[in-house]
Amino acid sequence: MRKSYQVWLPVFLVCLSTLAANAQSFRVQCPTNTITHPSALHDNNSEPTYTGPTTLSAPSATTFQTPTAHVNGAIKCQQISGGDGYSTMGDGTQTYMFSFGPLSGVTDIANGLPGTQFPNNFNVLLAPGTVLQPGDPATTLGSLFDANGNPYNAAVGLAMDIPNLVSIYDISVAGTTVTVVGNAPLGVRVGEMVTISGTGTPFDGTFAVTAATAVNPFFAANLAFTVTNAAAAGQAEITESTTATAGLAARIDGHVDARPIMDVGVMNGNIPAPLMAIDEDDEFFLTLTNVGMIMRPDLFEQHTVHFHGYPNASSFYDGVPDASVAINIGGSFTYYYLAPDAGTYFWHCHITPPEHLQMGMVGQIYVRPRQDRVLAGASLYTALQGQENDLRTACRRAGDGGTTSVTAPTDILCSNPVPAINTGISAVATVVSAPGTTTAGYAYDDGDGSTAYEVEYPIQIHGFDPNFHFVGMTFNPEGFSDMKDKYFLLNGRGYPDTVTAGPLQTVAADGVNHMSQPLPSIINIPAGGRALLRISDLDVTEYQTLASLGIPMKVIGYNAKLLRDQAGNNLAYYTNSITLGGGESLDVILDSCAVRAATGACTTPMATGVYFLYTPNLDHLSNDAENFGGLMTEVHVN
Amino acid sequence: MRATNMKKAISKTRLLLAPMVAMVLLLTVAAHAAAPGITGTGAAGTFNLTAQQAYLNQPDGQAIYSWGYGCTTAPAVSAFRPTLSATSAPFCNTMQVPGPTLIVTENVAFSVTLTNNLPTAAGNTSILFPGIKLNSTASGTQGLLTQEAAPGATVTYNLVATSPGTRAYYSGTQGDLQVEMGLYGAIIVLPATTAGCNAVPNTVTHYVNTAAGNTAEADFRLAAAAYDSVSGINNTCYDREYLFQFSEMDPNIHEQALVQVNRANCTAAGVTAGTCRLEVPTEPYHPAYFMINGRSMPDDMDPNYAREYPHQPYNGNPHMHPGEQVLLRIIGQGRWQHPFHEHGNHVRILGRDGNLILASTAAAETNLAGPLLFTTTTTPGLAMDGIFYWTGKGLNWDAYAHNPSSPDPLAKLTCTPDANGYNALPAARTALNYYEWCQDHNKPLQVNPFGDVASNGPMTLPDANILTNGAWYGGSPYLGPNATTRATGCLGTFNSVTNPQGNGPNCGITGSTPPSGTIANSPSGEAGFAFMWHSHNEREITTNNIFPGGMLMMMLVDSREFQIDESN
Repeated sequence: MRKSYQVWLPVFLVCLSTLAANAQSFRVQCPTNTITHPSALHDNNSEPTYTGPTTLSAPSATTFQTPTAHVNGAIKCQQISGGDGYSTMGDGTQTYMFSFGPLSGVTDIANGLPGTQFPNNFNVLLAPGTVLQPGDPATTLGSLFDANGNPYNAAVGLAMDIPNLVSIYDISVAGTTVTVVGNAPLGVRVGEMVTISGTGTPFDGTFAVTAATAVNPFFAANLAFTVTNAAAAGQAEITESTTATAGLAARIDGHVDARPIMDVGVMNGNIPAPLMAIDEDDEFFLTLTNVGMIMRPDLFEQHTVHFHGYPNASSFYDGVPDASVAINIGGSFTYYYLAPDAGTYFWHCHITPPEHLQMGMVGQIYVRPRQDRVLAGASLYTALQGQENDLRTACRRAGDGGTTSVTAPTDILCSNPVPAINTGISAVATVVSAPGTTTAGYAYDDGDGSTAYEVEYPIQIHGFDPNFHFVGMTFNPEGFSDMKDKYFLLNGRGYPDTVTAGPLQTVAADGVNHMSQPLPSIINIPAGGRALLRISDLDVTEYQTLASLGIPMKVIGYNAKLLRDQAGNNLAYYTNSITLGGGESLDVILDSCAVRAATGACTTPMATGVYFLYTPNLDHLSNDAENFGGLMTEVHVN
Repeated sequence: MRATNMKKAISKTRLLLAPMVAMVLLLTVAAHAAAPGITGTGAAGTFNLTAQQAYLNQPDGQAIYSWGYGCTTAPAVSAFRPTLSATSAPFCNTMQVPGPTLIVTENVAFSVTLTNNLPTAAGNTSILFPGIKLNSTASGTQGLLTQEAAPGATVTYNLVATSPGTRAYYSGTQGDLQVEMGLYGAIIVLPATTAGCNAVPNTVTHYVNTAAGNTAEADFRLAAAAYDSVSGINNTCYDREYLFQFSEMDPNIHEQALVQVNRANCTAAGVTAGTCRLEVPTEPYHPAYFMINGRSMPDDMDPNYAREYPHQPYNGNPHMHPGEQVLLRIIGQGRWQHPFHEHGNHVRILGRDGNLILASTAAAETNLAGPLLFTTTTTPGLAMDGIFYWTGKGLNWDAYAHNPSSPDPLAKLTCTPDANGYNALPAARTALNYYEWCQDHNKPLQVNPFGDVASNGPMTLPDANILTNGAWYGGSPYLGPNATTRATGCLGTFNSVTNPQGNGPNCGITGSTPPSGTIANSPSGEAGFAFMWHSHNEREITTNNIFPGGMLMMMLVDSREFQIDESN
């Protein structure tokens, strides 16, 4: 019965040959200009300072609101592969996984950073003369550069799209709006430069597309587009010209070459899956490219991305195959979200979750707060009051100091009202680049500095059942109710690998070294500093506890929400251990300061040395048969 | 084939299984039920319960020997809540799992009389009512935790709940076996005062799609609020409610219980000889069935009181319209914790075990202090009340696919923000897009749509040929039949309006083909946004090693074009 679907293989192949010629297969999307982030207001290649809500145009019955000045946030893009791979357990065992791997930001991922990129780093070709090989970037780390000479973080496979040219069936003008109807679709997008020639009139020239489709009397709307051309005003319509053409130059538009995607993406799975980080107000374009599972050619396995915990998610981009679409092998799908409220989320494939999650398709994503972008020295309280003036981010209560009075009941699901007490604390200079580097920032829009940290570490708890993985690699049906994890993992590694610097590599079945576990969990805190631990759990079978030896844990957020009641009182609490089930996250601050002044400055640091995070579920302190390993890592106060 | 590893066969034929599941759904009456239960009879508010044995149906075809609470005699229809339509036939069988949901009111005394009709070998049984004041008991025999009913005998508990909220009740006798066998249920305590809440929920006076034969929706709430009002202010008002009880079963324990019940010598002589008793080991524990309200997916999405499940009357099939505040009553029964993940939004926990969680210092309007959770961990014996809603706020595109240049009037609705930014002013009550998030009104999603949908958005959707549709996929990124039909672009007319892009060469060329395989959520009839609500210890969304199953259900956010009928 297990192989009954194989009889469908020939049928499938026959169907494949009859697919429409315009099936799109692999592609990426990373626009540089959107209606939410017009490049005319900001180039979207950095985060603008937050001084207040984005200024939006007035509502109208026939239009939508757009930024008119002072836009917040930017555009972020990332590409991942869905497929399979191998990882190395703490006892040296090579373990087969269904898994995601990085197809953008590969240099950053290898360095333990999020692979999320601004458009200018994503939409750039590989340096001329460089070729990506199977196993990259594991084997060429530090020597891969993009065409601009920067470390290579662009979309793998990105290639110039070919120039396109269509003959024009009809060209006409109304006012200064020129409508061009081709004999075939040109495939333009708004803002792209199109060259019209061969009309022998002022219609000729190079113009920006103003509408990518246009209803017309001749053909379907997608064969037509419009441009603005003042010089063409009053020109007579030209129909069935034998010489008029519209053309697009070679360009980067998300077109990809499949070969580097397959060379890099196949058997390149990571545990945890590629790290993602975005900022509030960002638009995030995440492309999932399904390269197939080489070790399981019997499975026509789709994959998806579920953004776990996103408030007010759309069903379409929620990644549940039953409730939306799933991405077949050979296809790319781009997920789209405006960043939700700041917090520690996570993501995973939602196909057959007990199988795909156990097999390793789990990753981390977090959203950084607006407060990180407040000018150093400005009042955090005032900045949060500013957010109350945008209905999208407001969490109002009577007496909160907003510019308009509160007339509606408090939104029962809003999470960060202004604090009950104005501490008067000013913003510190924030660097939002890298987990694990000495930066400074905030976990939430707290308005009182209570979630400030100096170093930031995403930590994902997971477990592998080696029997399930072996069975999954060897074409056998897997049982669920007897699933029993034997490897207990922090960021995909068991102790002592958790404290090994840099990415781990594993030889896959193709005989090539692949980067398998890019994220160490060793926590380095400058003496007197605070480490933010963004802890999530995607274990499939049981609850996991993580305890701290020597440094108290301050829990400041739970399930991607600031711990604060509706009246603005902070509900953060101290503990020495936290317990999470699969599908939960929380935020912990480890403070290496013994005495901290009201201003937040540390007056007496703790003693330097090595402290531990470990699980008091003592049977989880193991790498299969090997004691003493598993769910444990070190905290170095330096 | 019992307990064999059928997983691969099942999951890889998922595309076939899902339609079969959906067909079952379509063949039965639409089922979107509230928190059904019974009220006490007589002035004393008496519940007459019996503990008996029967078999529970599981979707793998197994019938599991179980024990449960039921009604000693069938109550009058008037005892059932919520008030149901004439076509419904609610029942309270002599044994059901979970036991009958007991609906009582704060500070109103009630009594439960339990008759022990379990097999004699099971010995005594009893009920614990944690969090509810036990005033006195009558008859019964003294047990370790409470008064018990001996085989064939009765015990009466005289009770009063001193605070509102949801609570569990369960066996207090040999709980490791009796709770595992199914002896548990829920008590819903209604608040004494709900001043400040809507007399009718947001569900009632809204857009009615009369063209589709819809009528106005009824009020299916047990009360207007979960907890009491203070000085005319209530922060726990709601529009709909659902009750979910989580439990698991180890079939080996149930088999052992059955074997021993049949083997035990329970004649009078046997009792004397000491052989009339059960010695069922309850460790090691290997549960294979993971249930919500006593059913495993997909059975949980069939109607309440469906005849296929004579001993599992309650379902788990939540539906809601955008903006409706939905009260979730969540109870951990059984012995394990389950991380219950609600896709779609967070849940504001109001209270635990009937205790409202309040801020230390606050005005009455803003005194809620329970956490916001996207995963509500169930714990054995613990009950939670929480509020959930979905509006699509912050999606950054118009989920209704409004298009000001469309010839279709339904594509050109207005959105007038209230103080919170929603199209929820009183004048918008009857609008199709009541509670739309106005900041995204008219905002396009797609660069080049296939149909009658605004363009110049950020996204290019892929060719539908590289995707696989789910059974609950509404057919497009958009909410509701009107938006979905316009967006798929291949229908020439809708609502008697000709699609400007016609049914010509554009249809299907630039990407989408008409949605197929979406039979559990018809693109032309429902087209809701479906969200999976499930245990995130993912092996628990299986039924005896078969995926999908177990603790899993689909929640649907339905456009107001679709009538949600909870009357069964």
